[in-house]
Formats: sequence, structure tokens, C-alpha cells
Amino acid sequence: MRNRGRSRVRAFPFEIVSGVVAASLTLGALAVVGIRLRELPRIPIRPLLPITGVFFVAILIGELFRVRQPGSRHTAPLATAAALAFSMTVASPNGTSASYRAPLVVAVTAVAMAVGSTPNLIRRRPIRLPDLANSLVGITVAALLFREIPVSQGRAVLDLQASWRPDVLALVMVLISVFALTVEVLLLALLRATRSHAPFLRTFQDEFMAALGLTAALSATGALVALAERPLGVVAIPLFLFPLGLTQVAVRRQSAIRRTYRQTIRSLSRLTEFGGYTEPGHAARVAELSLAMGQDLGMSERDVLDLEYAALLHDIGQVSLAEPIPGGATVLAAPVDQRRIAHDGAEIVRQTGVLENVAVILEAQTTSYRQVRELGEDLPLASRIIKVCNAYDDMAGSHPTRARRSAAMERIHLGLGYEYDPRVVDALVRALERGDQ
Amino acid sequence: MEDTGSKGRSQAVSVPSLAVSTYIAAVVLAAAGLAVVAWRVHPLNNGAPSDNHVVTLAVLCVLGVLGSTSQERNVGGRIGFSFTSIVLLAAVALTGPFGAAVIGAVTFVLVLDKQRVEVRVFNIGMTSAYGAIGGFVYLLVGGVTNVSEVDGVGPLLLRVGLPLMVADVAQCLGNAVILSGIVRLTKGTPMRRFVLGMLGTSGPAYIGYGLIGFLFVILWVPAGVGPASAVLILAPLFVARWAFVQYGDEQRAHERTLSALAAAVETKDLYTRGHSERVARLCDLMAGALALSHQDTEALRFAGILHDIGKLSIPTRFLRRADRPSDADLVSIATHAARGVEMVRGIEFLGDSTEAILHHHERMDGLGYPAGLRGEDIPLLARIIAVADAFDSLTTSRSHREAHTVQEALAELHERAGTQLDPSIVDALERSLVRQVWEPTRLEPTLMVTAGRAFDHDDPAASDLMAGLAGTERVP
Repeated sequence: MRNRGRSRVRAFPFEIVSGVVAASLTLGALAVVGIRLRELPRIPIRPLLPITGVFFVAILIGELFRVRQPGSRHTAPLATAAALAFSMTVASPNGTSASYRAPLVVAVTAVAMAVGSTPNLIRRRPIRLPDLANSLVGITVAALLFREIPVSQGRAVLDLQASWRPDVLALVMVLISVFALTVEVLLLALLRATRSHAPFLRTFQDEFMAALGLTAALSATGALVALAERPLGVVAIPLFLFPLGLTQVAVRRQSAIRRTYRQTIRSLSRLTEFGGYTEPGHAARVAELSLAMGQDLGMSERDVLDLEYAALLHDIGQVSLAEPIPGGATVLAAPVDQRRIAHDGAEIVRQTGVLENVAVILEAQTTSYRQVRELGEDLPLASRIIKVCNAYDDMAGSHPTRARRSAAMERIHLGLGYEYDPRVVDALVRALERGDQ
Repeated sequence: MEDTGSKGRSQAVSVPSLAVSTYIAAVVLAAAGLAVVAWRVHPLNNGAPSDNHVVTLAVLCVLGVLGSTSQERNVGGRIGFSFTSIVLLAAVALTGPFGAAVIGAVTFVLVLDKQRVEVRVFNIGMTSAYGAIGGFVYLLVGGVTNVSEVDGVGPLLLRVGLPLMVADVAQCLGNAVILSGIVRLTKGTPMRRFVLGMLGTSGPAYIGYGLIGFLFVILWVPAGVGPASAVLILAPLFVARWAFVQYGDEQRAHERTLSALAAAVETKDLYTRGHSERVARLCDLMAGALALSHQDTEALRFAGILHDIGKLSIPTRFLRRADRPSDADLVSIATHAARGVEMVRGIEFLGDSTEAILHHHERMDGLGYPAGLRGEDIPLLARIIAVADAFDSLTTSRSHREAHTVQEALAELHERAGTQLDPSIVDALERSLVRQVWEPTRLEPTLMVTAGRAFDHDDPAASDLMAGLAGTERVP
């Protein structure tokens, strides 16, 4: 039943929905701004031009420098911070209050984001529409909370803040930003959970933790820029975005090294193939399948990463063999040899001093599920997943025909409950079904 | 903000000699003198009753201590932030030179990290002194400490921002000069070279500190946020720092993973255990002597770790052959360089390292493999690895011979300079081994008995064997 429920969510057309949301927010905001401009020609527009212009440029530039956070999350920290500040700016130095309303913020942000994405469009790089739409929703929430929604005596924060102390105002700004960014994370988690077939709560938790640092930095910077505008005017915008620039550089490096690490493990996982110990592509296939199953079974992001590394390196113990086992299929080797290879692999990985979790998974990858059931042994879920995936891939091979696949599944089903964890085998069936679609 | 190195704190004071103690005492006395002058010239609350400088000073002191406690952890890639510098600059504009001197001292009196007494005393004196110097310079170029009376964008930039940047430069210089004295006394590095080197590495970072210090002041006084502005200003910096630390951790983890897995391959061949790691270490030494760039040094280290990884694809029986290998075996062994490159091709960041892996068995006379490159055509990094490779092979014991001593090995390498090896690199190795002790690797006798008289392809004699083969027929 759970499975059916999921596949229905999977069909949910998120790309289209987010496109519609983004478009309607943009058009709605533009329409409101247009109507106000026509109705109230007496409103002094000129003092608002510099501030609007500089924020527009800041958001646009920020959008050009999108960064990929670890775990392939895409964000544009500078653009988001600038847009948050735009939502919460209260005054400029010559005493004119920044009296604009939420629709202007949304309209300017939307147009700046659209223009900032065009270079990618021209270079034919994929534009991640849901990410853009989520950001726009977040900014809309912040602008509404600060400028429109009445919080006390029918007045919004913007109209109340004049009598507040600056540090209280700062706190309110930070809180509003945090709330808006959390809404964004929530939407993102919804999107990712349905894409990777993972439980929503687990995904939200992962996304929230991953975004925590950046949320803090963005909220603080949004408040900084908005507050510094009173003494410094628009000069404050580029100046106060500077510390965030450092954050951006740091995040970029962090995600680069994470990618490199993954690449390295991927390449090294092929050492056994080069040495003629295992079939070409075996490690990569086992890793891909394990990943899908780990997400399906609701493992956390950190655990899924350990699982992926362990799956890639699960045969590394074979390099210590003087000569390869024929065909490299460990499922066909004698149990004693299997255990020794697993143990050697764990020892090799342990030598790194940094992959202890992976070593533990490797150590237990040949243990029968029976040990858990009968002896109450503690067997990591990741080990159980790798055991099933390895057996499946060894028996089905690189380009499984329908017949080979069902033969492989039949053999796995024979070992159900004794050799293999039934829950994990169910996940394998689901993952294979999805792979067919 | 990069490359701040070990800026701001002396770490290399061993047993303090008389000269060092005298120098430290002089710095502390100078700092005390500067503080007294600062008080005379510009006491706290100087004509600005609206700003309570004492409270400000107390808050900044707390920040300074918190900041200095969390800073300067080695985060890999020589990246670090100096919160102390930012706080000192804010103190210059908010409280004047006396305040900066006090914060400089208090920060290192209270700093929670364990430090040796003389290091702590020196840091107290130095930070207090350059804090005060920054304060004087700020006042000299027209900076004001009653910021609340400055109004408007122009005046704020001219009377706070600009003077603060100048003060920032002065502090950076003061820091470098005082530090260069102690380094001169303990390590013998010429002061001029140290100061220039430090300006090169931390200079750009200091521009950032100046800007952030200015933002701090603006938020504190004109925007009226007060002490809470510390949270807002420091949040993005702390997050950046956190991300940099993570980056450093991951980078180290990555490197260790790479070397551990490379080492796993060596278990196949008993003789070469630990060989890659030693080659990488030798490469590091030579990189220093040859003054390679940071980037080249990194590439060289990775190439050193991975240079023999291709051996995994050579059947074990070729490697464990007791008698002289046949020509066919030699051809097979020679493929390991190219195979190694094939294996690590998927790792993008290796870039220059792959070339070094491919060509590490080329010879200056063009008789090496796989491409038969000659002289300068061989990539520099590959020539360095070739020297390290031969040196480690010679200084490792074999069943048929003892390990060469460092002197014997160097003599042998010099003999081969010009034909097999690059003479300038052999010289570089010799220079680097003057300052660094290298212990020849003596394998356990039992291990050698097990290994037997295996063929060592890194032995210079093997290179000749291969070269002889190359004379008649090109090795693929």
C-alpha cells in the first residue's frame, strides 16, 4: 500500500506546478504595481528609484553566481540575501521612508531572477525552475510578513517599527527571514522527497540541517543590509553583502571538495576492475541500486552517503588476493573466502582513518540476516542492502535479460529471511520496478 | 580570505634564549609605553558623553576572546580568519588607541587555548602594541571616535571608513614587523623576507578585515544596533569559517582516502610497502628546495602517492619473479605507467598529476618509457618523481643487498645525473636532505625471505635494463 501511495506522488508534476506558481506570483505582483502606479500618480516615485535599481542589480548579479551546495542543492546566496533585505528595508538616509509595498518587492525580485537566469538559458544549461519558484515564494513570504500582514492594531511591521529599538527590529527581521527561508526549505524537501522516493519527514530534516548554516548567514545579512541602509543608503547594499561573499566562496569550495571526494571513491572503486578482479561496472551498478534503496528505506543523507561509498568499495578487499577469483562474483565464492575478502576490504578502508562507518558496513556485508533474527546481532541496514544488491548484480549481470533477472530474483527470494532481509528485498523489487518505468 | 598562515601568533618559540627573552620583554615594554601615551593623547570617553566607551570596550573584549579562541585552527589549504583583527579595528574607531591596546592585551591574557607562557606574553605585547599603533594612525589621518556625531554617507566614508582602512594597513605592517623579529631570532629567516612574505599572504585578507571592521562600526553606532551588531556581522563570517573548516576536513579525508587505497595496492608487492608514501614525502621535500608553487606541490604529492597505482593491473607473478625477468615481462611491467593514468582518469582534480604519473620512468637520454621523451621535454613533476623513486629504491634494503646510506644513494644518483636523471633535481634532493634527516628503510629479514629476490622496477639498474631493451625495440 505504501508503495502505491508513493508512486502516485511521484506522478505529481512539480515542474509544471512550480512554473505556474512562479508565473502567477510574478504577473500578479507586476499587475498590482502597475495599477498602483496609474492610480496614484502623486506618490513620489523618484526617491524609490535608486534603492529599487540597486537591489534589482544586486539580485541579478547574485543570480548569475548560483552555487551548488553539497548534496546538489542549488542556491544563490547573494541574490536571496539582497531580496530579503529589499523586503525589509525601512528607510534611507535623507529621511524618506521606504514606503513601497510587497508587490514591488516580488515583481522586482522575479524580474531580476528571470534576467539573471537568461545567460544559463542561452548557454543551454538546465534552469532549475522549481528552485527559482521556491526562492520567489520565500521572498514573497518575507515581504508579506514585513510589509503587509497586520500584526498589531491592524498595522504591519513596517508601520510599527518606527517606535522600536534598532536591535529589537534586527531581531524581528532575522526571525522573519528565518521563517521565510524555512518555508523555502519545506517546499524543496517536498520536491526532493517525491523525486527520490524518500519519506518526507526524513528529507525535510536533512534539508533543514543542510540549510542551517546558510539560513543563519542569509538572515543575518538580510537584516544587516536593511538596517545599514538608514545611515549609508544604497552604498550599504554592496558593502554589507561582502561578508556573505566569503560565505559563498566557502560553500563553493566545500561542495567542490565533496564532489572530488565522490569522484575519487568512484575511480578507486574501479581498481578491482582494472586488476581483473571484478566485472566492469559492477561496483557502480551496485552503488546506484543501493542508493535508490537506501533513500526508499528512509535513510538519512549522511547514511546514504556512507552506503554509497561502501557499495562502491565493497569488493576492494579483493586487491589483496594474489590472483583474481574467476568472474569476480563474490556471491559464488565460498562463505569463508567471502568473509575474508569483506574483512580485508574493511581493513583497507579503515587505514584511511576517516571512513570508519564505511569499514563497519563492509565488515558486515556478508553476514546472513539470520544472525539478526536468531542471535539478535546488530547488523547495519547498509550492510544488508549491499548484500542484496551485490547478490542481485552478480547473478543478473551487466545487461540482464528478463529471464536472467527473474532467475536472480528467484534465487534471492529463496534466501529470503534466512540470507536476506525481507524488507530490503521489497525495496529492491520497488527500485527495479521504478527503473523500468 | 585566504592564506593568512600563522599570522598573528608566534608558534615557533622553543626554549627561549637570552636574545628571545630580551626581545619579548622589549615588545611588552613598548606595548605598555604605547598604551600610556594612548591614554594621555586620547583617553576613553574623549569628549563624547553620548557614547559609553567603557561598556563598548567590555563587549569588544568578550568578542576578542571568543574570536581568538576559535581562530587559527589549521583548516587546510592555509585558510583562516582573524576575528581578532576585525575586533581590534572596530575598537580603534569605537574607543580609540587606548581601547585597542587594552583589547589586544586582554584577548591574549584570557585566551583559552593552551599556550606556553613566553608565547602568551609575546602575543599580549605584540597585539596590544599594533592595536595602539593602528589607533594612532587612525587619529592621525583624521578618523574620529565619536562616530555618532558623524552624519551622512560622505562624512561616514571619509572620517571613519578611509581612516580605518589606513589603520588596517598600519596594523598589518606592525603585526608583520614585530613578528619578523621573533622569527629572525628563532628560525634565522631574514626580517625583510619574512615581512614581504607575510604581506603577500595575509595582505589581501587584511583588506577584508578593514572592510568588515568598518561595517561593524556603522552597524554599531549610526544604525544604532549596538552590541547586537556583533551577532549580525559575525554570523556570515562564522558560517564561512565553518564551511572552510568542513572543507579542510573533507580535503584531509580525501587525501587520506587516496593514499590509503593507493597503499592497499602495494600489499600485492611486498617490497614496495610504504614506497608511495615515502616517495610522496621526498617529493614534498624537493618541492620546498625547488620553490614550487602551492599548486604544483599539491599535484606533485598526489602524483607521488599514485605513481605506481598501475601496477595493480600487472599480474602478480611478473612482480614476484625471482630470476631476471624476460623481455616480455619487462614490456608488461612498463605498461604500468599508462595503466595508472587510465585508472585515475576519472578524478578531475588530479590534472597535472596524471602527466607526472605517465612519464615518471622517462630518462634524460630519451631511453625511458612510455614515450621516450628527452631532457626538458619530460614534465618537471615527472622528473622529480623519477629522482625520488630511484632514491627510495636505493635506500630500501633488498634480500641481495643492504639499504644504501643516504650518502651512497646520492653518489649513485649523481653518477646517473644527465643520462637517467635530471642533475638539477638531484642537486635539489641533496640540498633538501641537508636540512632533513632521512632514515633508510630496512625491511624485516622475514619479510625479505618471503619476498625472495623479486624484481624491483624502480631500481636504477632496472632502468638501464629497460633502456637496453628500448635500444633494440620501442617499449609500448
